[in-house]
Amino acid sequence: MRTNNFTKKNRMCCRKSFGFMLFMMACVVWTDPAMAHRSTIFAWVEGDKVFTESKFSGGRLVKQGDIIVYDLEGNQLLKGKTDDQGKFSFVIPKKTAMKIVVQAGMGHRGEWTIPLSELEDVAGPLTEITTSRKTAPKRTEKQAKVSHLSSNQIRLTVEEALDKRLKPVMKILVESREHGPTFRDIFGGIGYILGLMGVASYFHYRRKSAEAERKKAN
Amino acid sequence: MHISEGVLSGPVLISGIVLAAAGTAIGLKKLDYDHIPRAAILSASFFVASLIHIPIGPSSVHLILNGIVGITLGWGAFPVILVALTLQAIFFQFGGITTLGVNTMIMALPAVLCYYLFGRMVSKKASIAIPAAFVCGAFSIFFGAIMVGLALIFTEENFLKVSYLVVMVHLPIMIIEGIITAFCVAFLKKVQPDMLPGSSEQISFAPQKEAAGD
Repeated sequence: MRTNNFTKKNRMCCRKSFGFMLFMMACVVWTDPAMAHRSTIFAWVEGDKVFTESKFSGGRLVKQGDIIVYDLEGNQLLKGKTDDQGKFSFVIPKKTAMKIVVQAGMGHRGEWTIPLSELEDVAGPLTEITTSRKTAPKRTEKQAKVSHLSSNQIRLTVEEALDKRLKPVMKILVESREHGPTFRDIFGGIGYILGLMGVASYFHYRRKSAEAERKKAN
Repeated sequence: MHISEGVLSGPVLISGIVLAAAGTAIGLKKLDYDHIPRAAILSASFFVASLIHIPIGPSSVHLILNGIVGITLGWGAFPVILVALTLQAIFFQFGGITTLGVNTMIMALPAVLCYYLFGRMVSKKASIAIPAAFVCGAFSIFFGAIMVGLALIFTEENFLKVSYLVVMVHLPIMIIEGIITAFCVAFLKKVQPDMLPGSSEQISFAPQKEAAGD
């Protein structure tokens, strides 16, 4: 009678635990996998400027976050703040590889490195480029003078046109980098936890069965 | 509440690791085998909760659920939160591997504190237990925010300012988590009262052991 009562109680308990598990599963399904909790920064070179965009990777923009630019030796080159669109741009201060760090406050930090190779196209003296860049389109309008354009000027014009064309591509790149945890990550993590539980119970029951065998032998 | 890699200085990271290791050791010692499945479920919940974002306030905040973990597991919260944070760092890039110790302290220490402060209250009658659970959920976040301030004290210098900011940002979460904890406790009181501390666990586990022996 007692055991009967116990199994009945046990079964009810099981049903209730099943309810609890369902509740937890509902929590899992309810989550939006596109959301995440870290801050990222993406930077790209356009002409003589570096553009950056900082986000918490749920798509939330980092507003008024500190941006610090270092060279690879760790010397601080410049400092700034993101605007309300999470953007910050600066003129390249020195032709060197740069590490751009965003500090979004409360221990959130992201970084992005621009290698020297990306700056290689930004020809030597930067000031010369910026001035010639401004004049380049005007010159191209004058078709007759095309033949007089130096190869350097042609290169700059092409570069500028390419920058303009590539802007949407850059935007897509910025957005596509934005991938939060997928369902695979989520269920993978849960799988690991259940696996650990399995390992713990394996050792537990191995010890238990060893004890039982010892008892039997006695 | 996860502190990213590269923010904290070496000594802070190392003391975080040492303290978290000590807490985990105590937790594993206290966590008995019968509680392993419970710990796993809570670890999985904690792991997933960080994906539920609350779009209120200036920053990006998410559920933490350390209050409910603490109240049901006590010191066991340390290993549970450490496992979940490790997986969050690997799969979601939340926090980081080097900051694991500090992040574990930030979330697990409030959990243990909640266990000692509210553990006895939640097993009393509902009129005491439910408000206590609410305060427990909210307090676990509040204390976590203070811990973030403490961890950043050597980098951002102004402890009060950082703590104030973190508390303000997490205000909506404190309320939501308070409600969730209250609901969970109300649910567990009805369904699995032996999951709450203070209830006579020894008695409720005794018949199960007997059944296993048969």
